[in-house]
Amino acid sequence: MSGAGAPGFMLAPGTARPIKPRRGTMTGAAVVLLAAITVWAGIGVQVDLPAIAANWRNATSNIVQLLQPDYGFFPKTVPALLETLQMAVIATAVGAAISLPLAFLASRATNPKPKLLAGVRFVMNMVRSVPDILYAAILVAVVGVGALSGIMALVLFNIGIIVKLVSESLDGEDLGAQEAALATGGSWPKANRVAMLPQILPSFASQVLYTFELNIRASTVIGLVGAGGLGILIDNVRSFFRYHELSLIILEILVLVLVLESASSWLRKKLV
Amino acid sequence: MATSTTEQPRTSRPVKPTSRLRTTLWLLVSLIIVAAFWSVKIKWSSLADFPAQLVKYVSLMLLPPDWSQFGEAFNATILSVQMAWIGTVLGIIISFPLSFLASKGLAPRAVNAPLRFIFAVIRAVPEVVIAILILSVTGLTPFTGALALAVGSIGTLGKWGYEAFEGVDPGPKEAVRSTGGGTLALIRWGVWPSAAPDVFSFWLYRFEINVRASAILGLIGAGGIGKMLQDNVQFRNWDAVGMLLIVVIAVTMGIDQISGAVRNKLIHGRWRAPRLAS
Repeated sequence: MSGAGAPGFMLAPGTARPIKPRRGTMTGAAVVLLAAITVWAGIGVQVDLPAIAANWRNATSNIVQLLQPDYGFFPKTVPALLETLQMAVIATAVGAAISLPLAFLASRATNPKPKLLAGVRFVMNMVRSVPDILYAAILVAVVGVGALSGIMALVLFNIGIIVKLVSESLDGEDLGAQEAALATGGSWPKANRVAMLPQILPSFASQVLYTFELNIRASTVIGLVGAGGLGILIDNVRSFFRYHELSLIILEILVLVLVLESASSWLRKKLV
Repeated sequence: MATSTTEQPRTSRPVKPTSRLRTTLWLLVSLIIVAAFWSVKIKWSSLADFPAQLVKYVSLMLLPPDWSQFGEAFNATILSVQMAWIGTVLGIIISFPLSFLASKGLAPRAVNAPLRFIFAVIRAVPEVVIAILILSVTGLTPFTGALALAVGSIGTLGKWGYEAFEGVDPGPKEAVRSTGGGTLALIRWGVWPSAAPDVFSFWLYRFEINVRASAILGLIGAGGIGKMLQDNVQFRNWDAVGMLLIVVIAVTMGIDQISGAVRNKLIHGRWRAPRLAS
């Protein structure tokens, strides 16, 4: 930053070494700023280590319970587990179907209208900046408790992700075939369909699988606000302090996520 | 040539190659999707009046939003951001040394493997679940929310860290080793200078994730903007919910902009905020 010479070429008198570029003030200012923000935030959240230590004795009994999952609870979790899977599958399928055309509208390579492009991208940025559980909390109030609100929340979440990833891969594709299709008199939609769609299908499929992995994880928790799946169960056992059962549910989530993620990433490697 | 035309007189095109694996996979995937739609317990009829409902609620929320609680919402948002910041800082402090220990070549295998396993387990569990686990032990305060974010951050920061450290150019590392440097010298002069920009940008990226997650933590009771949102949704104060949504979106996007600008500076050497509509 500081203009102390073209790096490496100016020699200090009497030494054979180049002068080190001076950036001490910049770094110092950054460190002071970051420390100040940290102190301010620490005061805000009331960092209180002694309280944690004092609470620790009460906490140990909870931890002991958490380390002993109650496997007898498993049959009762099966319906919620299935609902979680159903929500993830349906939301991924619907989200993918909606995202594909939107991705074409959101890519500079496939959408020739700058105003429409900017509009679609802005809306997509907004859709992405709302966390999935927030969608779920609102949709539960609108459509009611259950899997439907969860699926809708996940669909919105998926659209945000898939459109971004696929439109970015569209931006990077080779435009030769599209230009040829346009030159023969094809319209933009037709040119995109014959020239661009085949190119991105493998990466589209892989992004959809990746989104499915995210959905598995998200669908286990959006139930916390009433949107169906394992989350509802978590909320129930948590409010009754049944930590043996809570730890079984968490174990199930862990196994589910690890198994499905490895299956899906194996499939993704096959695709690309 | 002549024989081939007599064998296939009609088609002039080459036959499309088919892959049995691919066909089977497609069938399997379609089957799973159909089964999911078939079996899920949903009143599909309620989907019919969803558009009308959506219009109704959106207009309740946004026409016009209720700005009377804006001051309170602003303070709650600040608290959420502070939670995210403290969570990120604690996560960095814990994960930074651990990711050196998890890098192959900088620490023995016997240390690498268990650390990588711990990172993977933390990554597999959703942040909210980690938060519930921790909050059920420590009680609900903004600070314990920050602790939950810190634990969640360790999984990703740890992984990105060791990947960055293992991916650095081997030249400087060899140079340090050839002059007799020990592991600490290797880390300080061989690995850190080339990995630093990436690692800094991972930290910022994780902060962006934690800002979103801190809004969620409020929904399960850790305070901040999420709690305010949940309360207003439950009491059906839709115009206040609309205002809160605008605040959440604006703050998230604003922080992404700032953090994106700093990341561009770190990686490309130029201050440039990511463009909103691009």
